[in-house]
Amino acid sequence: MRTIPQQREGRLLLVPLVTFLLVFLSFPALVDIVYALSDVTFQTMRAPELVGLRNFGTVLADPEFWSACWFSLRFGGLTAFIECALGLALAIFLSPIVCRYGWTIAILMLPMMVAPSMVGLMYRLVLHEFAGPLPYYLTLWSGTSPAFLDAGHAFWTLVVVEVLQWTPFAFLLFHVAYISISSEIREAAAMDKAGAWRILWRIELPMMKATIAIALGIRFIDGFRVFDNVFTLTGAGAGGSTTSLSIYIYQSFFKGGQIGQAVAASALLFFTSLIVLYAGGMLKSYRERRRVAA
Amino acid sequence: MNRLHNLLYAGVAAVISFAALPGIASAEVTVLGWPGGSEETALRAAVESYNALPGTPAEDKVGLLFFNRDGFYDKLQADLAAGSDAFDINVIATYSIGRYAPFMEPVDLGADAEKVFGKPILETMQFEGKQYGVPTDLSLHFMYYRKDLIDALMADQGAKAKYAEISQKYLGKTLEPKAPDEWTWDDWAATALYFTKSVNPDSPVRYGTVLQMKNLLFNMMVFQSLPRAYGANWADESGKVTVDSPAYRAGLELYKKLYDAGATPKDSLSYEYPETNAAWVSGQVATALQWNAAASELMNPEKAPAVAEDTAIVAPPAGPEGRKDHIHGLGLGLNKNSKHKEGAVRFLKWLATEDAALTYAKAGGSPALAPSVVEKIAVDRPDLVKLGQFAGSYGYVMRGATSAKALSIYEVQAKEFTAYWAGQKSLDAALSAASQSMTDLLK
Amino acid sequence: MNILRWLVFGIAAIAMNFPVIVTLITSFKSAKEIAMNPGLIVQAPTFANYARVLTDTSRFNIYAYLFNSTVAAFIGSFLALLLTLPAAYAIVRTGVGKKHLLPVVANLRAVPLVVFAIPLYMMFQFVGLLDTRIGLGLILTIVNLPLSLMMMVNAISDIPGEIDEAARMDRASAFVILRRIVGPVIRPAIVTAFIFGFITAWNEYLFGLMLTTRQAVPITVGSSFFFSASGGGVQWGIASAVMVLGAMPPAILGCLIYRQLTGSMTAGAVKG
Repeated sequence: MRTIPQQREGRLLLVPLVTFLLVFLSFPALVDIVYALSDVTFQTMRAPELVGLRNFGTVLADPEFWSACWFSLRFGGLTAFIECALGLALAIFLSPIVCRYGWTIAILMLPMMVAPSMVGLMYRLVLHEFAGPLPYYLTLWSGTSPAFLDAGHAFWTLVVVEVLQWTPFAFLLFHVAYISISSEIREAAAMDKAGAWRILWRIELPMMKATIAIALGIRFIDGFRVFDNVFTLTGAGAGGSTTSLSIYIYQSFFKGGQIGQAVAASALLFFTSLIVLYAGGMLKSYRERRRVAA
Repeated sequence: MNRLHNLLYAGVAAVISFAALPGIASAEVTVLGWPGGSEETALRAAVESYNALPGTPAEDKVGLLFFNRDGFYDKLQADLAAGSDAFDINVIATYSIGRYAPFMEPVDLGADAEKVFGKPILETMQFEGKQYGVPTDLSLHFMYYRKDLIDALMADQGAKAKYAEISQKYLGKTLEPKAPDEWTWDDWAATALYFTKSVNPDSPVRYGTVLQMKNLLFNMMVFQSLPRAYGANWADESGKVTVDSPAYRAGLELYKKLYDAGATPKDSLSYEYPETNAAWVSGQVATALQWNAAASELMNPEKAPAVAEDTAIVAPPAGPEGRKDHIHGLGLGLNKNSKHKEGAVRFLKWLATEDAALTYAKAGGSPALAPSVVEKIAVDRPDLVKLGQFAGSYGYVMRGATSAKALSIYEVQAKEFTAYWAGQKSLDAALSAASQSMTDLLK
Repeated sequence: MNILRWLVFGIAAIAMNFPVIVTLITSFKSAKEIAMNPGLIVQAPTFANYARVLTDTSRFNIYAYLFNSTVAAFIGSFLALLLTLPAAYAIVRTGVGKKHLLPVVANLRAVPLVVFAIPLYMMFQFVGLLDTRIGLGLILTIVNLPLSLMMMVNAISDIPGEIDEAARMDRASAFVILRRIVGPVIRPAIVTAFIFGFITAWNEYLFGLMLTTRQAVPITVGSSFFFSASGGGVQWGIASAVMVLGAMPPAILGCLIYRQLTGSMTAGAVKG
């Protein structure tokens, strides 16, 4: 199938995207490569002093880099899983009413419309012991209200905040995938007297596999690089326990003024995730080849 | 379908036609101010009267520009480092002057400036002996307390025993109630514990105090007056970092003790300025160490109906070294890349005159003025008299707090100290880490 | 069964929208009431917060911020689609770029873009794109590329090859195939990608802060001008009003095109 003229046409279709990337990112990428290998601050931005791989060594030896990685991994993994599970369940279970009454989608999409930094700010009010409605009603009904943002609870509070805002994202992706499954397939399955659960497990979910993988991947990445809401809500506290990798990089960039180290940390992140992606791609094509061979 | 298409096309057309629209022409001299609050109101008033002066040439008229508050200094950093000329004059603060000085130009304000502000206040805008800006607002801290509660405590003979018992149990010494103006930090702590429900079930309010313990550099400025009263400093005369000292330990431990005893809200580890105000106006808190800027909100019956009448202020409590109050100035200085330097300097010089300072103060700003100047406005702004008094008697600046790395040092302290308060690190570990990083930064 | 569905919908809607609901309610409270009454029932509703935000144009102009955000977000989401749709088609149908381009672009989403802020600032300064809506829109396009590309690739791989194979045999150009055949079939995915892109662009903060000063300030950056008070304080009522107004445009957009996401029009398209 893949003939030469087709490939040429394919390349042509890629030209706009590639040109755009080259125009906008080649200079920044080049500058960043120099910065990653330099001792550079805001004062010396135009005259960085090359120091080789020292920045990478400093970053890798910094325990806070590792604890930020660990926070981001946990946060990204957990929120991605919960959001996708909830989003998938909602998309399938609510599908009859959502398809019939379209406005329900608009309501469920609403949480995403507010900027995460604003959501973080608003939660400062919502969770405030004296001025916030949540502690107010909890105290009213149960006589007490927990500390939401102390060292023990901050992580879980942030997970809930993130999940509540971004489950709609997963929901929307799954909804679109679910309604795209052709009704003929469902009808055919129903003809075979297959039960609803069986159709779900055997036909619908496998057909949504790619979307599920993409949703998990995107939500994981977004959770991993979480910044705005965490930063406004806890400021990386309590006691540094909620420093995500993005916050770590932002702080060493602006607050610490250690541009070289911040860029080196980002480069590490970029190449690590690239390796993961390549490995995933290779694994996939290996499996496909085996399946074809078998 | 068609409707969507039309909508899309219309949208695209609108975007393309409007995207290139030019904005409003800017004034000749642009001042980047500090947005929101009294600083902005006062600056607007000052600029208005400057532009209205008969002697101000049209090409030197001043226009204002504001950035977002969150990330203000990061944005300013990027602009200055990249050599932006979008503004001629920009905000600087005592703690950030060293960081921005390389991108700014010193200004000569003339001999009269000293008569208006006094030497120590001018010094809050100096770096390496050079004047980088006109001081506009002074920030320090007040100890806010509930007059009704303290008066009741002082009048109640029966409460003395309970007070003594609590202070003995938590602080290891028997204390008795005192008037806030005579408080030592221990007296304050004992009072805070006395007014805490979990310590004293009879307390009329839930918490004795509200501490700002979020991992945020400004919270370190609030906190450090406590260790300072015990003699703390960032470094000794030789430049050796002295953060791992009995004075810092005493301060850090007292905060931790109050937090663990429940004398401050459970979520204090995420509290900063607005949370403290919200807690205060709810009427469930007896004392709070908070910025002077909050006075207008906390003592305003419109904004704090429950407590405004009973809110009173004194200078922070005393330690073995007396009373100490953190001060820093906010001011305006000259961007090195400015294209209108002459006009900009003209405005800065005017801002340093007595007339300008009084205009600024009348419009709600908080300049620290020399006693002879502040007299002229004492009727309108009695709080400015107190501000000058506290700054003059108790004000201090830590050694190194105007250096290029001052902001980074506050960041380090915020990270390490809050880690200790949160129970994530031991006191020794936090202090040795802070000491290590501060030594690197102050090199 | 449907009652149960409505029940689940109600709970999910209230839980996920809780901060939105609180924001909406707070925006009708006066400063006095916020201090006194943390509950969700407003005792003395007031429009003063909205009036303040909408009429304070001599200080800060919320209409300009909303307009800037709308323009930049439109460019950011639309251009991203325009660039990724043909690329995704090429990647799926010819395999070109699958090995390197796709992972590299997708990976851009993982990197904190703050490290590009300074070089982009210098670049924009040089070409005069600093503080322009187009400049901001172009940056937002970069932000949107990864998600947009992934979603387009995913959607196109779901289309059976026969559908466009026939057209290709007829030597129809790729442009025609995309517009007449592929586009309509994956419309829900395109609409979703557009909505996500628009929301992401609308909510972007860092570049809006760094790359604009006066003409092109977006709403995320402009909003805190209104509600910050002395010494780092927050005027909660006004903050809520700004947030409600700031969330309006993407919400309206969502309302206008949610119909595209319902029903089974895709099945019909495949048949046709």
